Amino acid sequence: MSSKANKILILATETCAYPGADSVGQAHSSYPANTYILRVKAPVLFPESFYIDCFKKGISGIIVMSCGEECPYEGAYKALADRLNSVYQKMKALNLDLKRLRLTAICTVCNRAFLNEINQMNELVNKLGPPQPA
Amino acid sequence: MMKENDKKVGVYICYCGGNISDHVDVEAVRNRVEKMPGVAVAKTNMFMCSDPGQELIIDDLKSGKIDRVVVASCAPSLHETTFRGAIERAGANPFIYEHANIREQVSWVHHGDPATDKATVLISAAAAKARKLKPLEPIRVDAKKHAVVIGGGIAGIKSALEIARNGIEVAIIEKTGSLGGNLNNLGRLAPSGENASDILQEILGKVKAAPSITIHTGCEVTDVQGYVGNFTLDVKGRTDSFKIDTGAIVMATGSVSYQPFEGEFGFGTYPQVITLPTLIEALKQSKYQTETGWFEFGGKPVRNIAMIHCVGSRQIPGIHEPRENGQLNEYCSRTCCSAVLNAANQIKERFAKTRVVDMYRDIRTYGRGQEALYDRASANKVVFMRYEADAMPTVEKSSTPDFPLTVKIKDGLTFNEEMDVPADLVVLATGIEPSDVSGLASAMKLPVGTDRFLLEVHPKLRPVEFPVAGVFLAGTCQAPMDAGEACNAAGAAAAKTCALLSKGVIELDPFVAEVNPDKCQGHGNCVDACIKEGALKLVDVQRGGKTVTQAQVTAAMCLGCGACAAVCPEKAIDLNGWALEQYEDMVDAIVAA
Amino acid sequence: MPPIQHFDTLVVGAGISGLQTALDLGDQGYKVAVLEKDASIGGKMIRLSKVFPTLDCASCITTPKMSSAAHHENITLFTYCRLSDLKQTPAGVSAKIRRMPRYVDSDKCIGCRKCEYVCPVYVPDEEQGGFSAKKAISIPFSNAIPQLPVLDPGFCMLCGRCEKACPTQAIDYLQEPEDFTIQARTAVLTTGFDMLPKKKNVQFGNGRIPNVIDSLQMERLLAPHGPYNRVLRPSDGMEPDSVAYVQCAGSRDKQMGVPYCSRVCCMYAIKQAMLLSGSLPLADITIYYMDIRAFGKGYEQFYQNAKAMGIEFVKAKVGRIDQGENGNVKVRYERQDGAGIDTASHDLVVLSMGMVPGWDPAGVCPVSTDTDKFITSVKPKISAVLTDMDGIFTAGAAAGPKDIVDSITESGTAAMEAANYMAGLPGEVQ
Repeated sequence: MSSKANKILILATETCAYPGADSVGQAHSSYPANTYILRVKAPVLFPESFYIDCFKKGISGIIVMSCGEECPYEGAYKALADRLNSVYQKMKALNLDLKRLRLTAICTVCNRAFLNEINQMNELVNKLGPPQPA
Repeated sequence: MMKENDKKVGVYICYCGGNISDHVDVEAVRNRVEKMPGVAVAKTNMFMCSDPGQELIIDDLKSGKIDRVVVASCAPSLHETTFRGAIERAGANPFIYEHANIREQVSWVHHGDPATDKATVLISAAAAKARKLKPLEPIRVDAKKHAVVIGGGIAGIKSALEIARNGIEVAIIEKTGSLGGNLNNLGRLAPSGENASDILQEILGKVKAAPSITIHTGCEVTDVQGYVGNFTLDVKGRTDSFKIDTGAIVMATGSVSYQPFEGEFGFGTYPQVITLPTLIEALKQSKYQTETGWFEFGGKPVRNIAMIHCVGSRQIPGIHEPRENGQLNEYCSRTCCSAVLNAANQIKERFAKTRVVDMYRDIRTYGRGQEALYDRASANKVVFMRYEADAMPTVEKSSTPDFPLTVKIKDGLTFNEEMDVPADLVVLATGIEPSDVSGLASAMKLPVGTDRFLLEVHPKLRPVEFPVAGVFLAGTCQAPMDAGEACNAAGAAAAKTCALLSKGVIELDPFVAEVNPDKCQGHGNCVDACIKEGALKLVDVQRGGKTVTQAQVTAAMCLGCGACAAVCPEKAIDLNGWALEQYEDMVDAIVAA
Repeated sequence: MPPIQHFDTLVVGAGISGLQTALDLGDQGYKVAVLEKDASIGGKMIRLSKVFPTLDCASCITTPKMSSAAHHENITLFTYCRLSDLKQTPAGVSAKIRRMPRYVDSDKCIGCRKCEYVCPVYVPDEEQGGFSAKKAISIPFSNAIPQLPVLDPGFCMLCGRCEKACPTQAIDYLQEPEDFTIQARTAVLTTGFDMLPKKKNVQFGNGRIPNVIDSLQMERLLAPHGPYNRVLRPSDGMEPDSVAYVQCAGSRDKQMGVPYCSRVCCMYAIKQAMLLSGSLPLADITIYYMDIRAFGKGYEQFYQNAKAMGIEFVKAKVGRIDQGENGNVKVRYERQDGAGIDTASHDLVVLSMGMVPGWDPAGVCPVSTDTDKFITSVKPKISAVLTDMDGIFTAGAAAGPKDIVDSITESGTAAMEAANYMAGLPGEVQ
């Protein structure tokens, strides 16, 4: 299976997206297994270098599943969005497809949105293959 | 590859009685994990959460075989605290623990080899993080022995009273001019017929006698600042605004009766179509008996009443039309069946001549004494007709001069026949909708369910708590309830409030930012990035005989978001328990697999 | 054990209500004794498969509460104990208690189960609905607390193998019951419910038709650690293709002596039907009912989901159940729309039996019970936990049928009332 080599890293907020992923589990809805969910308090923790390093290490795609406007840390979401914008700049410079990094909001019961995001990213990384930063 | 360090990780993998082991080859995972760097012990158990499962961890910690713990089982929301507790009982620090979620995020969503492989990778990542975990001490915060109850309905009053009886000061904030909420509008309560006003009088008497309860009527909370044990509320009164300092908050913001839209079952079109609260008020006002022997409404005798259940409740997408805002009330309002039967019995027992036709989907007299109410209604010759959600009764102008209205219904109790029921009065059993507190809920970061009621953490594990520490919920702001059920919820919220505040000191999670004084150069990037005013500042400190500027964290204020960690060029500040360097190791473990 | 022990509160019954009451009191600093007649705490809930409407596994929700009660510094558990007398005293309450013999020394036992492994005697395992066997000496079930075995003297043939196998000499064939007294300032009665026995119902076969089971038996068939590890019918081990639920089997029925609604049967039947359609995707599942009472938070949505999943809901009153051919079960029912009487054949029939009180206080405690025989709640609106005895409170299904969510919140109130009673402001505000 080509997807095995194509690893997708998911940063999921502990108040929204991570229980959202649990809710998908409770519904027993299947999704590709090349997805690795890390529970985070707020993705604003990660500097630009973290994302670039992930791609350099061989992660094919990253989905940041945040709480969006529901973010329990007021102001953090905007800082995160700004952060990712500068990550995109760096990705461009390294000739990495920008679609490999995606910011989205997933709520605790957003099962369909969760599955959509994962399936789309999986399709993409299967098409693109592992990243080859310039 | 992973950096070597001397931590000894114990990994414990749960079968969950088949929930995990039906899809993940748990023993194969154990064999692979055992060989991983830093893993000293790898064991499996049928139920890690059971006592024998927890004993495995305790024994290995006590014997010194391990000093870091990873449990791979269900979602951490269920059992992270269980296992931290087990570690504490072994005499170790509970924060040397990392959880691997291999049920909700593996065995329930993946099958076969991919499931086994993914479980292995997640455990390896958790073990990598565990090796970087350090013992942490909880943050102790002084808590104000004072609680605020928002909402002065029966749930709010009951919470306030119980908290006050425990010796804690309470302020009730009520937006209307008086206490009592919806109970003020009710008469004799189902099923046992107590008078709502007697109940209110009794409990309000106690509230007024309690010296430690302050009542603010005509007031609304506009904003809440602070944190558990030390909240400050902005309160707006009719003429002035003021602040209240408090240790805990109980949300008891209640509910309102569903208001039918224009034309719904003829409401607003025909004056003879009224809601259940209107009927209850009329029964309260009406003479015990009338000269005509008929129940009278609006001065006119009522020969036939049709009562229609589930108006604004149990709505089904695709069958019922959503309102302008797109809302459908899919939930059952719980109280209306008994309230309708209660009203029907009062009418039949006082005005025997008036005929009552009860049109229902399911009669939900679930509570103690409620089934007897239903039996009594049958004995009182209330006529029951049953309709389906996809064939709702319709209310029309009568074609005969005898009655103003006709209710057309396909009756499921008589061969699904189409019936025309003439009526002088049609009563809509309108359900319960939560009071609109969306503004306050979003200011306080409180979750709201898809049904628009406030959402508890977990209906069984933590039914009266919010994810925001120190904030609880009680009564019909959570879900439809009758007065007794609302008082039960209120008592439970009071118990949690008292357990929190009684010691005067609260222990908080230690997941806050920490500055490494050896590395900090005092650039101040972190202070600029910090989103919580007052949590981070630059201070002058003495180091090696010199005065240097360094960042300093106020732990009780720090939200633990980690915004500071991302911007430090020296990596001199990181988030305890959720450190950036731990995530880097987890990614290494994932790509290494 | 000291003959007289002192606590702030005595909680009678260690099901979910008793555990929650004890935890809410213990967290406030009160010393609590919890009395349980069974050999393990956890009550009915720990014996369930999954719970509505969230479909959490019951074990996963109950074990944390069991475990934190067992390890709580302010809570002491007394399992396998009978309450023989509970009365008011000037200082509060006094309870006479008899600890029944397990024939195992609880101080010496290390829970290694070696006795269980060597025991040659198999007995029906009531914890598994009677569908499988356990040893005559065994730990009640896998996640029981405490992990102590119980020897059943009715089946034990005194072969002595367990005594020899025990590494700590904990087996004691001569163990006697032990009597002691607990004195406390308050008591909370959380004695729960029992399911009406099947044999009470003559029209439904007196419990003699093998493929007519009750809902607690179905809970075991559905549980991940159940007797067969899958759903099979008891008579011949066949995977049922057609399963029927008979609602109000022993509720809302004056002839059976249970005129009231048992409140949880609609929801557990729907839940079991949903779980069944997961484990037996091809099976037809029918629920015969009068009214679906899906009244709690999220319940109605749960019911509508079940309908959408294809579970058949038939509005009818079942009048009679008979043994059919090949182990099948014949169900005679009267359609509610007046269309007459029909007969259907099902492979397996589940009776949604009603709830009756788990404890009769007669002769033990002068607390009043109502016509429904559950403990009387003297102020059902303001505080449903008050009984007619000062300082004695009640919560959960002891005071009428109740689901888990409602039992848990009511237990919080019982803890609060007991705490405030002890806070000693009765003259001022009560």
